[in-house]
Amino acid sequence: MTKAVSQVEKEDFEPYILVFCCNWCSYAGADLAGVSRFQYPPNVRIIRVMCSGRVDPAFVLRALKNRADGVLISGCHIGDCHYISGNEYTRDRFERLYNIIIKQLGVNEKRVKLEWVSASEGKRFAKVITDFTSEIKELGPLRK
Amino acid sequence: MEGSVLVIGGGIAGIQCSLDLTELGYKVFLVERTPSIGGRMAQLDKTFPTNDCSLCILAPKMVEVFRNPNIELLTYHEVKEITGAAGDFTITILKKPRYIDETKCKGCGDCATKCPKIEVPNLFDMNLGKRKSIYIPFPQAVPPVYLIDPKLCLKLTKGVCGVCEKVCEAEAIDYEQKPQDIQLNIGAIVVATGFEMPAEKLSLRWGYQYENVVSALEYERILCASGPFGGHVLRPSDHEEPEKIAFIQCAGSRDLHEGVPYCSSVCCTYTAKEAIITKEHSEKSECYVFRHDIRAYGKNFYEFTQRAQQEYGVKYYQTKISQIREDPETNDLLIHYEDLKTGEFKDFKANLVVLASPLVASRGTNELAEILGIELDQYNFFKERSYFNKLQSSKDGIFLCGFCQGPMDIPETVADASGVASQVATLLNSVKFTQIKEKEFEEPEKEVKTSEESRIGVLICHCGINIGKYVDVPDVVEEIKKLPNVVHCEANLYSCSSDSQERIKEVIKENDLNRFIVASCTPRTHETLFQVTCQEAGLNKYLFEMVNIRDQCSWVHMTEREAATEKSIDLVKMAVAKARLLKPQKEETLNIIPSALVIGGGVAGMSAALNIAEQGFETYLVETENKLGGILNYLNILSPIQEKGSIFLNEIIEKVKKNKNIKIFLESKLENIKGYIGNYDIAVGDKEKVIHDFKVGTIIVATGGKELKPNGLFQYNGKNQNVITQLELEQKLKDQNGAWLKNINRITTILCVNSRQKEGITYCSNICCATAIKNINILKEIKPELEITVLYRDLQMAKKEFEDYYRQRRKDAIFLRYDLTNIPEITRKRGARENYEIKVFDTNLQEEIEFQTDLIILSTPMIPADNLEELAKMLKVPIDKNGFFLEAHVKLRPLDFATDGIFLCGCAQWPKNIQDSISQASGAAGRASRFLSAKQIKTSGLISEVNPDKCIGCGKCVETCPYNAIELLDTKMEFEDLDLNIKQSYINSALCKGCGTCAATCPVGAISVKHYDFDQIGVMIDSYLLEKTKSLEEL
Repeated sequence: MTKAVSQVEKEDFEPYILVFCCNWCSYAGADLAGVSRFQYPPNVRIIRVMCSGRVDPAFVLRALKNRADGVLISGCHIGDCHYISGNEYTRDRFERLYNIIIKQLGVNEKRVKLEWVSASEGKRFAKVITDFTSEIKELGPLRK
Repeated sequence: MEGSVLVIGGGIAGIQCSLDLTELGYKVFLVERTPSIGGRMAQLDKTFPTNDCSLCILAPKMVEVFRNPNIELLTYHEVKEITGAAGDFTITILKKPRYIDETKCKGCGDCATKCPKIEVPNLFDMNLGKRKSIYIPFPQAVPPVYLIDPKLCLKLTKGVCGVCEKVCEAEAIDYEQKPQDIQLNIGAIVVATGFEMPAEKLSLRWGYQYENVVSALEYERILCASGPFGGHVLRPSDHEEPEKIAFIQCAGSRDLHEGVPYCSSVCCTYTAKEAIITKEHSEKSECYVFRHDIRAYGKNFYEFTQRAQQEYGVKYYQTKISQIREDPETNDLLIHYEDLKTGEFKDFKANLVVLASPLVASRGTNELAEILGIELDQYNFFKERSYFNKLQSSKDGIFLCGFCQGPMDIPETVADASGVASQVATLLNSVKFTQIKEKEFEEPEKEVKTSEESRIGVLICHCGINIGKYVDVPDVVEEIKKLPNVVHCEANLYSCSSDSQERIKEVIKENDLNRFIVASCTPRTHETLFQVTCQEAGLNKYLFEMVNIRDQCSWVHMTEREAATEKSIDLVKMAVAKARLLKPQKEETLNIIPSALVIGGGVAGMSAALNIAEQGFETYLVETENKLGGILNYLNILSPIQEKGSIFLNEIIEKVKKNKNIKIFLESKLENIKGYIGNYDIAVGDKEKVIHDFKVGTIIVATGGKELKPNGLFQYNGKNQNVITQLELEQKLKDQNGAWLKNINRITTILCVNSRQKEGITYCSNICCATAIKNINILKEIKPELEITVLYRDLQMAKKEFEDYYRQRRKDAIFLRYDLTNIPEITRKRGARENYEIKVFDTNLQEEIEFQTDLIILSTPMIPADNLEELAKMLKVPIDKNGFFLEAHVKLRPLDFATDGIFLCGCAQWPKNIQDSISQASGAAGRASRFLSAKQIKTSGLISEVNPDKCIGCGKCVETCPYNAIELLDTKMEFEDLDLNIKQSYINSALCKGCGTCAATCPVGAISVKHYDFDQIGVMIDSYLLEKTKSLEEL
């Protein structure tokens, strides 16, 4: 019985998801998804930064503190960074963020994700968003 | 010699050429005979293959022309006479009377509202809409100036009325205007007069005389949100929604009886586009395409036609049309046709018919050719000087670009336009920058202090129906109006049009705004336009913020209007939160090293290098092979000129070698590329492994392509000597005499080998058909008794000469048609002598045919050159799904990468023939030399800065910075009475690119990235989440 209720809740649950996109690859990938009319769930809000390397871990924490159900950081594939190596710092920083802070906070690690999407991967952008949204839906809302 | 250029024609060709010319240092007089620039592209609803809104990508360019202080816009003018020669022409231009003083007209439209209701068809709407006798051709016209039709105006014809003069507050009406002649001295002339689609000239069997048979260009207007039916697909006779729409291909093109022997080239792809858009407008509509061959030769075009069928359910029939008749009762159309798949004659009933009727040179082409003294070709297009330079007319100093030279699509037109600009720069090199003035903003920048309360203005764009159909725009406006600091918010049909720019400036001034937001499409294409508008209104460009509610809302949530609307509101709210904290920023100038690197020594690379070098810039040409020439080294005779490829090759190599500005590196490889626009450090390793270091300001990628070797297909396996590829045949024909054909009597050529597949290589490789046809003919000349069979799917003979080229040679072979479901089967027969048995189902005859052949020639697609990924990584530029380089914008920036300072041309971008490679190379050279000519560029204000009060000198940022832009410097700090020697970070603003990695790394938050600082991003996060979660708590 309880299981059935939580199932209904999950289906009705529309998560709040924040996405950080770098200007050169992932934001362009999102544009390509738009131009190609690849449909994806409307639960995400994109914040454009010039490089994924700009994404301060504090931004992710701020979002979680404000009860974002999921945070996605997206940048150029490793080796393709418009700023040579900015995304390598994103990756390293993300690992630290992941290992230390997320676990200490007790937030499910699946709620924060890092994905590389290039300017030519419109389809992939739509898929990444679709998959992440359903993963978060599966997890349910973030409770304090 | 004069440092100014006359451009005739204000379509996309003329617009692009004018813009590039001013950047190369020339004053431009842009003459357009209609009242507005924009040309055909302005009439299109969307553009293939991305279905970008046509006006949305064109309007910013139109506005740029209008604003450019070095372009004198002469709309509603015509060229009357020219004298003189290259470098020094004198021209007479007729200024036609608008009966309105264009310096006074504000484009408000009060006059047209009050003008008595006598209406005539509007030419811009292909006569489907109406206009008054005082009118503007379309709302986004540039210049935004009205004019009076003297044949219709009551005042001008009968001396009565005069209402417009009374209502015009700007006092712009002038009934006394007379035609006027203007004389100009100019150095060069560019002809860019485009095309038209005169469907009324078709013979009656096409049915254009019936109301519900429209030309494709008329249909574009029907589809368009700002068109005569407001973007509803209605048929002209009864304004009812048609259910069955038939698109007729080759309606007059490729047809000697209609006097149009050539293929109009763009119809196959635009028809797929029109059918897709129709389906998007109304799901219950049924689209049927009556096709001949599918000639979707450009980048991602063929896949696009397949998408129309697979994703949108558009039905394609392979047919020949006999006649189209009307049912007078219903005004429906009966299409009588031959089904080429079954050979049967059938009838099809449609509610609306769209004709892909021939595209021909604009009316007046003959007269203009006479005035300019230049030649036309047999198709009435302007004739190019030689096959190898289609941009040069038959007369020195007069250049050609766009459709007036022959059928082509928009990206080719844009590439040509840049190419012409570049060739003009070579001709007028000595008078660069002699007639140019700097852009100055009339309005001084107003000081905006961070302490001041922010006054924000917001514009929400409908983007025709692109946003408006899927997002409730009025609802968004209402929500945003409620926000603190939002002083003004309004909706708008097309925010990017020139009248909207005026409106933005007006709104900024009226409301004394100090921040501005546009919610429309992507900042990646439109941010600059709005930033300049803000600057013109005295607002620092960094006080502008853009929200993308099209690519991120309306286009990706097409079936979820409520959610898309809510998302749009959230995104604008987030931008408003950020806008409150925006600060004005300053930009600095950066010097450009006046030299270029060209990667690839094929025809494209050599042409680009020559062009830049002839403008006086040092050029480095790097080639991996031991000789220049690329694929042309292996080619025999070139189609359609039937001339030996080696003649041209030797000429151009000679020119490159002789040019003192070109340094050639053969058998060399790029080892390293560092830096940024204006200042790249290049390291090239030669075959002795010696590294050569040099600096360049700009880079052109011309790495070419190669032929796919079809290993394992059709008996091509390295063992069978008589199964060869088309390029291997070229080499045999080039290097050997005909003796090798002695034992060969029957030859079979198979086209589309491993291309246009469902998976793997899905594209049409553009050049293979013409090459195959050429070689059939050459083989027959060597040995006339040869029996040649061609197995084809569709024959790709687009562009002006190729249909005739094919027509003249089709007798040389038997053509059998196969399709993907009936791939020919080939078996090698037993015995010492190579001999093959071919089994093919001919879809024309609907019969299986078996025959024997001695030699099999396989036409395989062109694929990208090897090791492009490595180069792409070094350059930080993207590669597309087919492995070719991905340009900044498929339509309007075909030669640029998204990264400033790097350009591409030739087969590195897409398979193309030599002629197109050369004109693209000129274009890329032109795009690159804009920077080299300017000597300086402004750097972005989006850089990082260190707060010395917070920096602890840990040096983490120094390690992180990818550009070595940060260093630790000794400095003094006062601490109570002490002077302490400490280290602190310092950021070199010329080197900083603004990625912000340092800011995210700094452990004490001492670094902020301008425009993306901690608080600016922080409030966006809060704006979205705080409100939402608050309402959750209340639950």
